[in-house]
Amino acid sequence: MNEELSYWLALAHLPKLRTKKKNEIIVRLFEEQKTIIDFFHFEPKQWKDNYQLNENEILLFQDAIKELSNYAFMVEDLLEQGYSILPITSPDYSPILKKNLGRTYAPSLIYTKGNKAIMKEISIAIVGSRKADKVSLDFTDNVAKIASEDYKVIVSGFAKGVDKQALDSALKHKGQSIIVLPQGISTFNSGFKKYYKQIIDGDVIVLSTFYPKATWNVGLAMARNPIIYGLATEIFVAESSNKGGTWSGVVDGLRKGRKIFVRKPNFNEKNANNQLIQKGAIPVNAKGNILNYEQQININQNVVSELDPNDVEYKIIEFLKKGGEFISKEIVDTLKLDWSSRKVSSFLKKQSEIITVKGKPLKFSHKERTIQSQQSLF
Amino acid sequence: MNRNRQQAEIKLKRIFGFDGFYDEQWETIDLLFQGKKVLLIEKTGFGKSLCFQFPAIQFKGLTIIFSPLIALMRDQVKGLLENGISAKFINSEQTQEENSQTIQDAINGKLKILYIAPERQENQEWIQATRQMDLSMIVIDEAHTISVWGHDFRPAFRRITNLIQLLPKNMPVLATTATATKRVQIDVEKQISNDITTLRGRLIRDNFELFVINVKSEDEKLIWLAENLNNIEGTGIIYTGTRVNTEIYSRWFNYLKINTTEYNAGLDGETRKKVENGLMANRWKAVISTNALGMGIDKPDIRFIVHTQIPASPIHYYQEIGRAGRDGKPTTIILFYNSSKDNKGIEEDYKLPKAFIDGGRPSLNKYNKVINAVKDEQLGECQIMKATNLKQTQVRVIKADLIEQGIIKEVIYGQSKKYEYQFDAPELNINTFEELRELKLKELESMLEYVNLNTSRMKFLCEYLGDMIPNKIENCDNTNLQKLISNPKPGTVKVLSDFRETYFPILKVESRSSNIVNGIASSYYGISNVGATLNRCKYHNGGDFPDFLLKLTLKAFRKQYGQEPFDLIVYVPPTESGDLVKNFAEKISRVLKVPISHNLVKIGETQPQKVFENGYLKRDNVAGKFTLNNPEQINGKNVIIFDDIFDSGATIKEIGKMLTNNGASKIAPLIIARTVGGDIKKE
Repeated sequence: MNEELSYWLALAHLPKLRTKKKNEIIVRLFEEQKTIIDFFHFEPKQWKDNYQLNENEILLFQDAIKELSNYAFMVEDLLEQGYSILPITSPDYSPILKKNLGRTYAPSLIYTKGNKAIMKEISIAIVGSRKADKVSLDFTDNVAKIASEDYKVIVSGFAKGVDKQALDSALKHKGQSIIVLPQGISTFNSGFKKYYKQIIDGDVIVLSTFYPKATWNVGLAMARNPIIYGLATEIFVAESSNKGGTWSGVVDGLRKGRKIFVRKPNFNEKNANNQLIQKGAIPVNAKGNILNYEQQININQNVVSELDPNDVEYKIIEFLKKGGEFISKEIVDTLKLDWSSRKVSSFLKKQSEIITVKGKPLKFSHKERTIQSQQSLF
Repeated sequence: MNRNRQQAEIKLKRIFGFDGFYDEQWETIDLLFQGKKVLLIEKTGFGKSLCFQFPAIQFKGLTIIFSPLIALMRDQVKGLLENGISAKFINSEQTQEENSQTIQDAINGKLKILYIAPERQENQEWIQATRQMDLSMIVIDEAHTISVWGHDFRPAFRRITNLIQLLPKNMPVLATTATATKRVQIDVEKQISNDITTLRGRLIRDNFELFVINVKSEDEKLIWLAENLNNIEGTGIIYTGTRVNTEIYSRWFNYLKINTTEYNAGLDGETRKKVENGLMANRWKAVISTNALGMGIDKPDIRFIVHTQIPASPIHYYQEIGRAGRDGKPTTIILFYNSSKDNKGIEEDYKLPKAFIDGGRPSLNKYNKVINAVKDEQLGECQIMKATNLKQTQVRVIKADLIEQGIIKEVIYGQSKKYEYQFDAPELNINTFEELRELKLKELESMLEYVNLNTSRMKFLCEYLGDMIPNKIENCDNTNLQKLISNPKPGTVKVLSDFRETYFPILKVESRSSNIVNGIASSYYGISNVGATLNRCKYHNGGDFPDFLLKLTLKAFRKQYGQEPFDLIVYVPPTESGDLVKNFAEKISRVLKVPISHNLVKIGETQPQKVFENGYLKRDNVAGKFTLNNPEQINGKNVIIFDDIFDSGATIKEIGKMLTNNGASKIAPLIIARTVGGDIKKE
């Protein structure tokens, strides 16, 4: 894999070529079981005939070839410093990002530092103004707290206001976060110092889609917004004015058919939240619950739950009773649960009837079955 | 690019003046023209450089040569410039401005060939610049240093091999070495590419005359050389096992009026360059050096090489003697071995290389100290040293291993380098350390096998390096040559003992900001009975320092300072050894008739300096801790500062600074014994 990375950078940072075109080349290579290395060393005729490159594009790639060895030096330096370089074909690339943005918009390459597994968990983004009101920040804190307790990951754009609040709340409530940078990954010095502990503990991953040395600018900050939306399974809007990054991000998301939850504002608030709701966003209350179902949820919370065949916890226990050792991911996949693997692990670790088998990852089995199977040894 | 050999040889004649390529040279060059990767193993003097210099000038862009040898860079660049080829180098010997200019030239396409040290791959200015260079070929010189199984493994080369794997597939890469065992060869091949061609040549050097001289003491080595060095033809190199021995041997020859000089990595760059140039010009009969000298020095007529200690392995030995006799004329190669046994039955000359192996890796506990410190926060090298109280050398070994294993990474933030623990870091794997240790012990055993051999020595060395030689080789004291034996003459024994009485180590403490001058000690701590005597007095209630030390110390004083007048003697207030230093200082004061002052005092608690493993902490320990009770006493005075032991010099320098601030015009250190790295350990 590593030996392809210089080629991936050459493709991803090729100027004047749309993401869609880049991803189409990648898909085509995948279908033909060719590598990106093969592609760069094809004759121009093959580029033209098999990959529909026009004359200009061929010139672009011929220039890119000359830069391969330069990229090699850069890749070596990045890897040496502990950054990960993930092409869209990498098993570590965020599956949520790939699904949400599709081949038209999903970046061909992302740079990360930290626990890559975070990108595979259910995630929410809480977005809003850099100068949000207290009510919006409280909302952000509420939603981040509930999500963290539910083992959902918080995606943060690391801007002031709502973004920063979402990140701080997630970390305060022992949740996990993805920090999406409006700059190149190797320019985030102060952030890597500040979140050092969280990164090495596996609670934070820092992600950038830009040229590693690129410094912050408005263009990159705007270009980062769709990545935040793309990385999130659910999107919550705390506060939006009728222009600027949040507004255009939400409108863009709605146009792409994303489900977006917007905090229903109080009467005296001056923001554009209601306009977004009119455009098709779903209104939620201060705790992030969908307004129409609010009562129903409140009632549910007061009921002492009996084991019910549709209950997730019941399903998991019954499944393990049938025997065998499973990692939580297998349980989630087999039972098609909407729980994250971490939530399943956490739940099972607390159950006295479940045995945790040490290892990486942990495996679980039911006591009854384990004892039986041991007996059968004799 | 010209793949026609005939036409290439016309160019070769025009540019380099050679008539033609050897077949192996052309084979290599032709593969490089095809964009292939090649490992070339050929002996010193074969003409490996031509295999990359010639294609480099045929390629359109720049060829980068990673080389660990500064002397070689200098020599080769000089040679290339003389042939009208634009070449430069980047290394620590040049100023930052010179290096930056070279980088600019490379970016602007003004260079064909650029030599660079592998460590430069850690430099951001360089990495940034590589974005803009038009690269045609990469060369790794001394490629055995990229393998941990090779001698002289260089961690910095790990990054170069990572780089090689990331290069475009059709970029030519050449790795060259003169010394690779089969195991190293396979390792190098694996690290560079699975698509690499290896070309291996013969290693025999038949102009060498190989001898081993068995001795029964260190003195016998000094004596044999005193009696015989001038009878060996030409000029050459004497390799000693340690830095301090380069000093002792060169002082000895100095005493004998034999013209030699010393060289080791502890000397500053300018002095080293001066010695290297002097070696080229045959300025001395011999240069006394650690193995830091000679690699890559292109001198055809080094006529002899003497080792006063055995190297770590036959590969080291072949590599080190390989620097001699490139002109093919008879060359004398001598190895001393002191086979006398200590009370545990261990041969004396086995101990030093064994100690290097044992001390090669810090203990597991120290690894964990570093890991835990870095887990807490991002740290720079100096911060790690402070947090762990480990020596710089140890911290560097540990860091390199931890980086190699992916446990920590070196990250660059702006101008500073920080070490970071990694989220998914594996456990520290010590199996590889054990395996390496085993290998090194085995190699040392093989070196002893060479010493005790009774068959052809050259055949043994070649076969050890994987070059199986079918026919007989006769060029050593086991085959056709008369053995050399040690038989000290009583006269020389007496000269040596006279020398010992007049030989005093210099203490280099001078600095611009202080009026302190270089001082003198009566002896090294470890190489005479002085250290043992001090130890007994200080730590085992042996009473006052005995009078023979006083005699020796005064003798050292006279040698260094002559009849210079002094106004006052002060002594370093003790940490733990009571009044020994004070009493001794009083005796010195009486003999020299220089008044003593008891006014130098400590104003804060200090720990004994030996507790601290590194200079940073030693300096911190004593910084601002000394003062004078009546400072006016010192103003305008010439002062002797006395202490029993001199280790890092941090205490003496600190006191020198304080006395300077109080107006002392000259501060002259006088010490009983100077330690050599690690003589005094924590109890």
